[in-house]
Amino acid sequence: MRRALLLVPLLFAATAHADDMHGMAMGHEAPLGFDATFDGSGHLWVVDTLGEHVRVRRSDDMGRAFTQSTIVNPVGEPIYAEGENRPKIALGPQGDLYVTWSQPRKTPWSGFVRFSRSLDGGTHFDTPVTVHTDRADITHRFDSLAVDGKGNIVVAWIDKRDLEAAKVTNKPYLGAATYYSWSSDRGEHFAPERKIVDQSCECCRIALARAPDGGIDAFFRAIYGDNIRDHAFTSLPIGTGTLKVERATFTQWHIEGCPNHGPSLAIDAKGTKHAVWFAVTDGKPTISYGQLVPGKAPIHTFPVATLGASHADLAVDGRHVWIVWHQMTEKGLDLMLRESTDGGLHFSEPRQIAHTDGASGWPRLLIHDHRAFVAWNPDGQFRLVPTEALQ
Amino acid sequence: MKPLVALAMLSLALPAHAAAPTALGIADVPALLAPPAKGTKIVALWALDCAYCEQNLSALRAWQRNHADVDLVFVATDSITQADTLEKRLHAANVDDVPSRAYAERTPDRINFLIDQTWGGETPRTLVIHADGRRRAASGALDEGRIAKLLL
Repeated sequence: MRRALLLVPLLFAATAHADDMHGMAMGHEAPLGFDATFDGSGHLWVVDTLGEHVRVRRSDDMGRAFTQSTIVNPVGEPIYAEGENRPKIALGPQGDLYVTWSQPRKTPWSGFVRFSRSLDGGTHFDTPVTVHTDRADITHRFDSLAVDGKGNIVVAWIDKRDLEAAKVTNKPYLGAATYYSWSSDRGEHFAPERKIVDQSCECCRIALARAPDGGIDAFFRAIYGDNIRDHAFTSLPIGTGTLKVERATFTQWHIEGCPNHGPSLAIDAKGTKHAVWFAVTDGKPTISYGQLVPGKAPIHTFPVATLGASHADLAVDGRHVWIVWHQMTEKGLDLMLRESTDGGLHFSEPRQIAHTDGASGWPRLLIHDHRAFVAWNPDGQFRLVPTEALQ
Repeated sequence: MKPLVALAMLSLALPAHAAAPTALGIADVPALLAPPAKGTKIVALWALDCAYCEQNLSALRAWQRNHADVDLVFVATDSITQADTLEKRLHAANVDDVPSRAYAERTPDRINFLIDQTWGGETPRTLVIHADGRRRAASGALDEGRIAKLLL
């Protein structure tokens, strides 16, 4: 009896603790996923979410203030807006604004890839459409968006239709497939989707980058053998051209699970494929840099950062290569930078360029007028962090 | 049979009361990671968006049924504000009789880091803590063989 009485205040204490937490601002309460890009006139465009609405804002002063804010989907809908699964924005050659996001469906891990466009400089957006023809309530999510040199809009995503088909016939199938589609009429229509590859990773973003010939290349986490989660590279032809999907990293990381950690890719004018990716090597979570040689091991590889490092992005301009990432420490979150001025042969030591005690969406490197900036939104407050060291 | 003994036997025979996840903040991490007084503690980290996690939780729960010296706790990296969804998912997987926690911190990556610096946030993640302080961890869905190896 005495013990039972002692338990009562403990139970009340636990309840009060839990109730207190409901009033706290949790990182997951306000999704932090965002994307950003510069247009040719130096305007900064940022996409993020407000509840069930996708929002596009324009800044004319490098992100200090926003002079225009437009809701893309006045009719609200569920939106994946965190981590690897965030809204994207890209610009067309005529100043069009293109936005994609993934919409959760009723069943776990399900989603539809959604698209909307503005042909009037962001004043209005068209009613969103679903990009893919397959409308099963399954995974079509982790969308990525790019525009090629001819103005074709390319959208790639992770898709589980082939996994579902394999289940029906009791065939083994690891992960999910990766699909893509494109629009050659400024987003008026999308071509029926094409499969890029079967049995790829189901929870990592797909990196898309424009090659010197104007085409879009993809770099994404694939599955090799028994859940070796390395990365594949391919160009994404517009039309019926042959897809040549080749293994591009060889970390041999085995995991029957969700890394939640996709790569980044930037291709310079000479066609060098600069990339960063995440894997656990020798027991350490590691962000690596390398130059891809699809079909073979990458060259000029080196470990960018290890313990506590995550979600790297990179950009290239001529011989200048920038890498940024999140570095967690016991004191909070640091935004870190390493840069190379010799085309990725050598990199500077890591340098902290910003800090927050809170959380932020994954960093995005943007190039404007040969300068690199990091789009960041600690605690939901957007800012553009310069990469130049203070003199 | 004394009433207290009967009550204890009844509690062993029945599954523990299915309860909603409780909050795990930064201040709670040291207690979570404290070695058990005896046997082994398994901290099973999982997430709603992880398609491999429930099979891992089920495998660990099955292991625990045959190993009385294992203390098992599930920790969701999702926010405690999603407690209802988490509870339903655990119930659907038939593992809602295990003590369960969920993150209550505005920077989830910070809890990840404090729990295990060698963890990159991939899920599922299983952390084994022995009474003598030894710790081992593994990422990915485990089967019986891998659990046995991890607990060595």
